[in-house]
Amino acid sequence: MEELGIQILKSAVSGLIMGLVFALVALGLTVIFGVMDIVNFAHGEFLMVGMYTTLLTSPLLGVDPVLTLPLAGLVGAVLGVMCYFGLIRFLLRGPMIAQLFGTFGLMIFLRNLALLFMGSEPRIVHEGWLVGKSILVGPGVVLESTKVAAAALSLISFAVVWWFINRTRVGKAITATSLDAEGARYMGISTEYMNALAWAVGGASVGVAGGLLVNFWPVEPGVGLLFTMIAFATVALGGFGSVRGALVAGILIGFIVNLPPVWDAILRSIDAAGLRGLEIHSFKYTMVYAVYFLIMVLRPQGLFGWKQ
Amino acid sequence: MEAVKNAFDFGDMPRSELGLAAAALAFLLWFPAMPHSSFGMATMIQFLMFSLYGMGWNLIGGYGGQVDLGKAQYVGIGAYTTAVMMIRWDVPFWFSMPVGMALAVGWSFIIGYPLFRLKGHYFAIATIATSLVLKDLFEVWDFVGGARGLEIPMKGDMPNWLYLQFREDYYYYYILLGMFLIGLIYMNGFRHSRLGYQLRAIKDNEHVARSLGIDVHWSKIKAYAVATAYVAMVGSFHACYNFNIEPEDTMSLDLSVLIAMMAMLGGAGSMWGPIIGAAILVPMKNYLGSWLGGQAGFAGMDLAMYGLIIMVIAAAQPRGVYGIVEAVRARRR
Repeated sequence: MEELGIQILKSAVSGLIMGLVFALVALGLTVIFGVMDIVNFAHGEFLMVGMYTTLLTSPLLGVDPVLTLPLAGLVGAVLGVMCYFGLIRFLLRGPMIAQLFGTFGLMIFLRNLALLFMGSEPRIVHEGWLVGKSILVGPGVVLESTKVAAAALSLISFAVVWWFINRTRVGKAITATSLDAEGARYMGISTEYMNALAWAVGGASVGVAGGLLVNFWPVEPGVGLLFTMIAFATVALGGFGSVRGALVAGILIGFIVNLPPVWDAILRSIDAAGLRGLEIHSFKYTMVYAVYFLIMVLRPQGLFGWKQ
Repeated sequence: MEAVKNAFDFGDMPRSELGLAAAALAFLLWFPAMPHSSFGMATMIQFLMFSLYGMGWNLIGGYGGQVDLGKAQYVGIGAYTTAVMMIRWDVPFWFSMPVGMALAVGWSFIIGYPLFRLKGHYFAIATIATSLVLKDLFEVWDFVGGARGLEIPMKGDMPNWLYLQFREDYYYYYILLGMFLIGLIYMNGFRHSRLGYQLRAIKDNEHVARSLGIDVHWSKIKAYAVATAYVAMVGSFHACYNFNIEPEDTMSLDLSVLIAMMAMLGGAGSMWGPIIGAAILVPMKNYLGSWLGGQAGFAGMDLAMYGLIIMVIAAAQPRGVYGIVEAVRARRR
């Protein structure tokens, strides 16, 4: 029974922290979707670019990985704006299918460009202020400080984006564009500029997320897909276009991902022979896909969504 | 009888297209007799396989406008059914293939019912999700070999027509070519069928289609089932041709995307689109891949170019190569 208690505590804490990181990854996706109704399949690849940015620039500049976060955010923002003006602007003229395939092409392009230049072996940040340190929370529950820092920074990023969208003039213009682009244009808002800005904000937030993630998650060219799917599930659960929804849903997804170990611990504590084969620890991320499917079918507008 | 007559009725196609198609067919029939490398033969077989996959995708994604990015799960169901039945119960290919198709179609009804309540990109992402769930399940399911997959053992002497085991590739080639022709003719009939017209009406405007009395939801599910049958059929063939299947190469997202991409590049919603797309992309992928990835040491370069081409096509001409042909033809008139 004691093992079960520890496992529940462990899963709850780790779920909360990973959930905040997932929420940060999903933030960019929901901002972009809210403003222009376009699903960016290359979102996970933006994350990968952020991860490589921190991984490569930290030894190059001789500074700690944490200090390269603004740079990762900048690279993400520039990438987002470049994609908007180089690709998305043209895709918006075409049918929905063209938008899907355009961003899919972008995903394949970025992933294989990374493969070409970086090789396929997974890499991770080995040195830094946070790496290797941990905090003891309770009996058997250890928190890596990299993850705690990532969660804290995720909260800060959310606060900044929320403030930017809800409290500044430009943010209100973005909201107006997402509510009714044509109406916003009549009011003298340059929707073109707002779209580009949404891609900049989205790219920056996912770039920062990548810079944080690489401290405890190995980066390789194919890392994006899992996070794209997690971000989709998060955004679907929170409601497409909702910033508040992304935060809540991210934490929920974090808990969901951490459910299988609890289930396995319950099975072990009961210790019934017939239940031996029912352990589900290898289905951690399968749960995310299943949850996404269920939400889409049962409640397509999500928890806080206002777009269908 | 009406349906059969429709299937062989190519009368509404322009002369030039039929001429080109006849020339292409002559080439396909003659190909094994021409001097070719074994790599060339493998490329041709892959071209036929992807044409059929693309035709299946085109039924629902092209004519119906429902972008499906989960076709690989049906490749997997077809391939695994054939492999499991052959290994465990010695069932010949010609019997296990229809069973695989039936299982895949059954599964497509089960997930199609909730899936088609969604539209646009919600639908597309949900198909990815179902496909990935199924792949994850197959990776831990011991009955089908888990992540290592299954290996089909030799069944007696070759050539073995019952189990589709041949030493020379041209046997496979002609069997697949037969499937290809059947698929093409069925496709032609589908264009003129009631369901075909209903689907195109749905693609143009769902509300109008519904007001005309079309059961939109059910029509989509039916078309999805037909599309699934195509894909599962080739999946079964894939198992016999490769002798070795694993979740990664039969059910991955990359395969789903590749299928959709070829149909889209050639021209979604047109009869020849998927074939044109496969004829361009399969050789390009194979030869670029072996040349850049293998010899020149630029792994990833081929697929990066591939992604670039897809982006350009999506931005410049979303209706693909066939769309360009039609645009040129309209200008000449």
